[in-house]
Amino acid sequence: MTSAISISGVTKRFGKFTAVDRLDLEVPLGVTFGLLGPNGAGKTTTIRMTMNITKADEGTIQVLGKPLADEMQERIGYLPEERGLYRKMTVIDQLLFFAAIKGVEKKAALARLEKWIDVMDLRPWLAKKTEELSKGMQQKVQFLGTIVHDPEVLILDEPFSGLDPINVVLLKDFLVDFKKQGKTIVFSTHVMEQAEKLCDRIALIYRGRKLLDGTVKEIKAAYRDRVPLPPPVEPEPELEKIFIKAVEESGLAAPATEELR
Amino acid sequence: MNRKLFHVIRREYLQQVKTKGFWIGTILIPTLGLVFVYLQVILASTLIPEGKIGVVDLTGRLYEPLVAEQKAVSDVDEKDGKVEEKSRKMPAKITFFAVEATPDTLPAVRKELNQRVQKKEIKAYIVIPADGLATGNVEWRARSVKADMILRESVERGLARAGTKERLKDAGVDPSVYEKARLTVKLDPREATEKETSEDAKNVGANLAISGVLFFLIYISIFIYGAFIMRGVLEEKNNRIVEVIISSVKPTTLMLGKIIGIGLVGLTQYAVWGLFAFTITLPGIVGVMGLSGGALPSIPGMTILAFVVFFLLGYFLYAGLYAALAAPFNTEQEAQQLVMIPGMMLILASTMWFFAFNTPDGTLARVLSLFPFTSPLLMFMRISVQPPPAWEIALSIVILLLSIWGVAWFAGRVYRVGILMYGKKPTLPEIIRWARATD
Repeated sequence: MTSAISISGVTKRFGKFTAVDRLDLEVPLGVTFGLLGPNGAGKTTTIRMTMNITKADEGTIQVLGKPLADEMQERIGYLPEERGLYRKMTVIDQLLFFAAIKGVEKKAALARLEKWIDVMDLRPWLAKKTEELSKGMQQKVQFLGTIVHDPEVLILDEPFSGLDPINVVLLKDFLVDFKKQGKTIVFSTHVMEQAEKLCDRIALIYRGRKLLDGTVKEIKAAYRDRVPLPPPVEPEPELEKIFIKAVEESGLAAPATEELR
Repeated sequence: MNRKLFHVIRREYLQQVKTKGFWIGTILIPTLGLVFVYLQVILASTLIPEGKIGVVDLTGRLYEPLVAEQKAVSDVDEKDGKVEEKSRKMPAKITFFAVEATPDTLPAVRKELNQRVQKKEIKAYIVIPADGLATGNVEWRARSVKADMILRESVERGLARAGTKERLKDAGVDPSVYEKARLTVKLDPREATEKETSEDAKNVGANLAISGVLFFLIYISIFIYGAFIMRGVLEEKNNRIVEVIISSVKPTTLMLGKIIGIGLVGLTQYAVWGLFAFTITLPGIVGVMGLSGGALPSIPGMTILAFVVFFLLGYFLYAGLYAALAAPFNTEQEAQQLVMIPGMMLILASTMWFFAFNTPDGTLARVLSLFPFTSPLLMFMRISVQPPPAWEIALSIVILLLSIWGVAWFAGRVYRVGILMYGKKPTLPEIIRWARATD
């Protein structure tokens, strides 16, 4: 079976600093993979090398069974940690541009966007310039831009950082949905809780090296005896869910359309 | 054509052309230019020598002739409007009055006249010493020694004519001979070929205007569009969009697309200007400035071709440089220091225009029209004045193409690294190291 992503013996140095050190990673097709580690562990460098933005000094990287090439970029959806939009472009022009540079024709892109525009309450904003949108709305547009070409693999670098609670839920729901379609998701995070909830497999990187790699179950089993268990907790509603509920019960229109700058 | 490149160019072009600023600039620049020229012409015509001037004539011979000269000149002007010689155009707004004095009373007279000048009762006074007819030295006293240049020149000319006639009398010659004997010479420039030079080509004023306007256009567009590129690169970095884009498009494609897109914006602006310029603006400027004999001379095809070729070469050379020098930085202020380098080279090139116009085959003009950072401007100027040997033009183009290749190589590498660098402002050695680093 081909892997979605296969990284073997990859090293990347910046001057004297070794950002990634002889890294091996296999991301099987169809799994949700969490790339974990503290800031500066080498997550972003690994992801950038996988996207062919930065070139590895040593080792090989394959995506969907093929060596890195520009065409492969069209089959991946990428959300970098440093992300943004053209402030002066309208929402629709922006989305169509993202589609176009991924090789998707205007017609196909519009058809694909149609469903998401309603899900994300974007319709009233399509002709507006990005700078007129609220931060939360911009995040939605950004996310839509990442998937507008219907990628087979999704690579997200710290996707949850800076999202408001509503968009966190939206993104989580979307990732679950994306996974159900049998697609592969790789995302990096330093928040372990998110990884635990969403991932089938995780890898922990520290100082450019891989410390752990495996399914969440395997890893938990392996450390069961060495890590103290948390005290049992009474189940209680999560704050996130409470927030959503409160908004619904307020009787105000859906938050997204009401958001102003 | 690479489809992704096409989309990047399209986005860049439409984003610029869609803005109000673009159209305001497109219309405002030529309008302002025209207004300035008209203002200059109108204001210049108000510069007439005028004022009350006291004459202390110690020779006792020049006052009357001076007044007569001035009156005669004004009469001539009124009779036939056509002024053959600039020096004859002395409008009758100067009033001379005689001040009696001897060498003994001069200090007292001076004191009184000085006061009158300071009180602005009179504009100035002149003191013609006893040996004035021999030496030509005349004293001018006014509130400022710098101001009233036109008035001073006018008085000078009147005195010179009056004095010359007096000296002719002394030599026993009839002073009326002076006017008859005066000869105004006009050089009629023609090219040293068997073919007769056309009237257009001889019109130096209009040729200077056309070469100058086109030269200035190359200069100002490279400057303006270079700044556009710098701002575009920084904007993509500041919006944090650049990494999103280069996950779909190669950095070099993004850079090239930006350069071509903005270049096309420039060409659009030219097209709009061209439409107006050659119907309204240029004949207007040329006509108003009195440089041409009326009709606008046609621009030689060679000049237009040279303009297009050297504008494009110059644009690509500088555009690559601007993109490379902007990429490592986060703000315009940070980038400013390095971006000043191409700016200075452009300014240097622009200040050299007169050398290329007056001495197109001089050493300086030849060297600067081969040096890649000045050649787009100066080779164009040389070609428009007096086409240099074909091999020099070819060499200049080859050097430019090689330089563009070199700058593109450097820019591509610096750009690729620079756009992902946030935070600390990099130094020039660091930037050069990026360019030299291997993948």
